[in-house]
Amino acid sequence: MLQAPNDIDFFTDYEVLKDPYRYWDELRSIAPIVELKSRNMVIVTGFREAVEVLRNTEDFSSVNSVVPTQSLPFTPEGDDIWAQVEAHRDDFEMSSILVAFDGARHAAARSLMTVLFTPTRLKANQDYMKEVAGGLVAEVVARGECEVVRDVAVPYVTMVIADILGIPEEDRETFRREIDKGGPSVGSMEGSPEDQFASFMFMIPYFMRYIEERRANPQEDVLTEFANAKYPDGSLPDPFDLVANATFLFGAGQDTSAKLLGNSMRFLTEDLELQRRLREDRSLIPAFLEEVLRLEGSTKSTHRLAVRKTRIGDVEIPAGKTVIVALGGANRDPARWEDPWSFQLKRPGIKEHLAFGRGAHTCVGNPLARAEIRVLLDLLFDQTSEITLSEKHHGPAGKRKFEYEPSFIIRGLQELYIEFKPK
Amino acid sequence: MPRLQVTNRAGEVREIRVAASQTLMEALRDEGFDIEALCGGCCSCATCHVHIDAAWAHCLPAMSEDEDCLLEGSQHYVPGASRLSCQLRLTQQMDGLKLTIAPPDE
Repeated sequence: MLQAPNDIDFFTDYEVLKDPYRYWDELRSIAPIVELKSRNMVIVTGFREAVEVLRNTEDFSSVNSVVPTQSLPFTPEGDDIWAQVEAHRDDFEMSSILVAFDGARHAAARSLMTVLFTPTRLKANQDYMKEVAGGLVAEVVARGECEVVRDVAVPYVTMVIADILGIPEEDRETFRREIDKGGPSVGSMEGSPEDQFASFMFMIPYFMRYIEERRANPQEDVLTEFANAKYPDGSLPDPFDLVANATFLFGAGQDTSAKLLGNSMRFLTEDLELQRRLREDRSLIPAFLEEVLRLEGSTKSTHRLAVRKTRIGDVEIPAGKTVIVALGGANRDPARWEDPWSFQLKRPGIKEHLAFGRGAHTCVGNPLARAEIRVLLDLLFDQTSEITLSEKHHGPAGKRKFEYEPSFIIRGLQELYIEFKPK
Repeated sequence: MPRLQVTNRAGEVREIRVAASQTLMEALRDEGFDIEALCGGCCSCATCHVHIDAAWAHCLPAMSEDEDCLLEGSQHYVPGASRLSCQLRLTQQMDGLKLTIAPPDE
């Protein structure tokens, strides 16, 4: 197998963490799959090869998807280590969250979530989205400027998830306050994986109480539906599994959506002609967002563990090897995307980008993320005549400065300062 | 374990055995068939569109408004046969079900 140059480490090199795209291009120019010799890992930057890995749940486990840098908690024996992974599953870091599940257990847990994001459910949620977004947007537009990730995106997506799960109004402010305290992004150089999820732990007693109450006294509300949802085999989930799902939705759906809004705003404020086109024809917003997802999706990579000796393309992969699937790299693979670095509205087959992954672990909240951004951009356009970057914070055109999260999982601006011209 | 007879987009027929309680989309995807299922099963994209043999219509659950709406928008919509495979949970009664994976929309 071809090897990556040894002098750069994807997980710790600050420059690569902040801007992975050139590094991925360099690796892809060697081969779509290369070995990181120092880490017993391979990194996949080819589109076709990435899809192949994501769709292959026979040979690849997701058990290490959040913490790919961990050592195996056992010594792999032979060409099939599924049984060893299952025997040691609880010894893997962060293996108790949905994205790390495999097989039937994963499908069962996921079946409780897909029903939350259907078009009908999102339509029911849309008035609330508009209300929350409208309030936040009015506030920042009146001020004339804001830092859009913290001031708008984070509170907005937090309140929207709270509404989707049916959290009672009286508790929502508490949720918002706790989440606003923030924490490092998942996969960040700053803080441990546990720290990165700690800001969601306060929710556990709330959800335990909601579930107990709604199971004892069903009401006509979303929480009752959530508390009494059944697995595909007809069994009632353990309350703790439901709590884990609910906290996971906040954890997974909050930072990613908030960062996606920041990434979208960067495109719109750096290309005012594009902004003008979208303002005049709002039906272009979904196409705009798909291209943002391809070029600057908020999840840059996901990870798998080869649990059987297998192949990716024609490259042999031994059992026990960790695979980094560079979603953002695959999304700029010239073998799949013509002129991949350029922003083009309405590329053919654009929805096949891998910003939300593919296969069994496709981001379950993808319809929500799309709806959230569409609603918010529409409202921002309604209430302003132009949105521009703050030169005070990001420098003048040609000399812009942006700080991205130093995370190997999340791709997003730490801050984006924008200014508004009122109508 | 119900058996399914699947015709892929190239017109090849293959019989598979699948676990009941999965969705048809999950079963097809895990067997490596050529469906994209881009939205991951949220009834939001219509890229898991299949045509179910008319003889099996009686074992299928009713269609939701969301599913109906997405299918009607597909270029390959066949009234009475078109379904989104992510919305069909497999049961023992579906043993022998015949289906064809619909061509992709442009």
